[in-house]
Amino acid sequence: MDNQPSNDPDEISALPRWFQLARRVLDAVTTGLNVLGTLLIVVIMLLVNADVIGRSVFNNPVSGVPEMVSMSIVAIVFLQVAQAFRMGRLTRTDAIPQFLKTRAPRLQLGMEVLFGAAAGFLVWQIYAASVPLFQKAWVRNTFEGTVGDFTAPIWPVKLIILIGCMALLCQIALTTLGVALRLFRSSEHTT
Amino acid sequence: MSPFEIGLASFGAMVVMVYLGFWVPFALMLSSYVGVWLIKGSPILAGKLLALAASETISSYFFGVVPLFVLMGYLVSVTGMGRDAFDVANHAFRRLSGGLAIGTVGANAIFAAITGISIASAAVFTRIAVPEMMRHGYSPRFSAGVVAGSSVLGMLIPPSLLLILYGLLTEQSVGDLFIAGVIPGLLLALIFGVGIWLTAHLWPSALGEGVSRDDTPALTPREVAEKGLPIALLIALVLGGIYGGIFTPIEAGAVGCAGAILIGLARRTLGWRDFWQVLNDTGLVTAAISFLIIAAQMYSRMLALSGVPAEFGSFVSEADIGYWGVILAYVVLVILMGTILDSSSIMLILVPLMLPVLATFDVNLIWFGIVTIVAVEIGLLTPPFGISVFVIKSALDDPSITLGDIFRGAAPFALMMLVLLALILAFPWLATALV
Repeated sequence: MDNQPSNDPDEISALPRWFQLARRVLDAVTTGLNVLGTLLIVVIMLLVNADVIGRSVFNNPVSGVPEMVSMSIVAIVFLQVAQAFRMGRLTRTDAIPQFLKTRAPRLQLGMEVLFGAAAGFLVWQIYAASVPLFQKAWVRNTFEGTVGDFTAPIWPVKLIILIGCMALLCQIALTTLGVALRLFRSSEHTT
Repeated sequence: MSPFEIGLASFGAMVVMVYLGFWVPFALMLSSYVGVWLIKGSPILAGKLLALAASETISSYFFGVVPLFVLMGYLVSVTGMGRDAFDVANHAFRRLSGGLAIGTVGANAIFAAITGISIASAAVFTRIAVPEMMRHGYSPRFSAGVVAGSSVLGMLIPPSLLLILYGLLTEQSVGDLFIAGVIPGLLLALIFGVGIWLTAHLWPSALGEGVSRDDTPALTPREVAEKGLPIALLIALVLGGIYGGIFTPIEAGAVGCAGAILIGLARRTLGWRDFWQVLNDTGLVTAAISFLIIAAQMYSRMLALSGVPAEFGSFVSEADIGYWGVILAYVVLVILMGTILDSSSIMLILVPLMLPVLATFDVNLIWFGIVTIVAVEIGLLTPPFGISVFVIKSALDDPSITLGDIFRGAAPFALMMLVLLALILAFPWLATALV
């Protein structure tokens, strides 16, 4: 499985210095979130096993495992989605883009910019509409679980959704900006 | 435009965007956003739908274990259990012509019982089986084709991530679905094996020029036990635990991961670097799949608002194409979509659309699930978008073997899967006998 970022390094190194700096900072943040999400997967594994063993061997289940797992998966996805985008793991077909790349490279770059703008707009919509959900969870201190057995506040998950959306939005914006800069330059060269 | 027309138009727009190369999850989101906006006349409501789907869709215990099934598949591969399965299967089939290829199929069938994703099988056996087969004179095309074809067993033989997903969509018991996959999975392995054996006899040049008899020395019984026991233990732990009622199919992924880690540590085949790499990959695969599922959920909420599924259902039942007309049309549609989309996307798009239609025919949803999985898996092998083939290509790291070669090598296996699909359609008991 290849783990290279979807951006060709040669094409990036031709871009301005401020862009490269922004890219480095953002990539470091994205990788940090990715590591947190990865650790959370280990936590889920340990929790479910503790529950199974506790239940069947010691007749003493761990309370709240389903709640913790169902909250963690949302956190995992939003912690990792920016990295998944950066690594080119989000599903897309490349038959037509590959075809255009050789025959009409500028059209292909233009489409990439358009796609990036649309994706950025959608993530912004999710972010904007998720802010009230976080505020509600924070103000009312809503929780998951059953009182007396296990309860956990849900605001941390809602906050992670916001953070993850923001990281994804920045990745999309920066990648699209990179493509736009290339498009702009190639038009300078040809005219 | 009426909501119904909006729903249909957004479906068409989504398909066009996917073909043009827009990310599939964003294509689904955009068509749902615009669709809801037009139907309800409010962009704010449309944004709310996106946000609610993002925070609610995957927030369940059921979904929480998706990364664990992915992780289990990767763990058994880095701990060398794939290699062991390959050695044992080769030992068993070494006297048959085409034995190495049949051994690859057999090893995949064993491996499938401890992994729930096809891409794990494809990645593992590309590295183990393809070089070995080429060394024995099989052509690169045929070698890669065998691996691509047999990797689909991973999704059919339980545990299976796709069956879990289907269970979630249709509210069917995952345990029943797992049992239903057993006979079709073994039957497919048998069809592959017989197909290879017949080709080796009738048309040996199709396997490659000058395929040499397998000269690997037979394993001693002690070696067979050493290689076979850890895998057998893990299979017994996962399947025995599920059917012995110790844990649920949903928890099996976590137990399987723990088992694979313990076995890997005991045999000193699991290092920190591998473990971290595998965890990281698991996270990225999980994020990509889950993000897609979130998007598909937004899309199906939009479709429900537009009334397309209900109208579609009544249209189909009134159109009088009958039960077989509906089922065959569905299968053809799934296979066609499989040429451009990945398995989970197809299921997430089509199954909710089909459910109201199926209700009018009183279809057995367990059987329908197996039909869906087999049809969807054919898409893993067909160009232009065949995930298994892509994984093999990137795991091979050999520029002389092109994507086209692998697709051509996989084509006979896709045909054999069609045979299996026809058998399951004709004899539904193949899926339902054990349930």
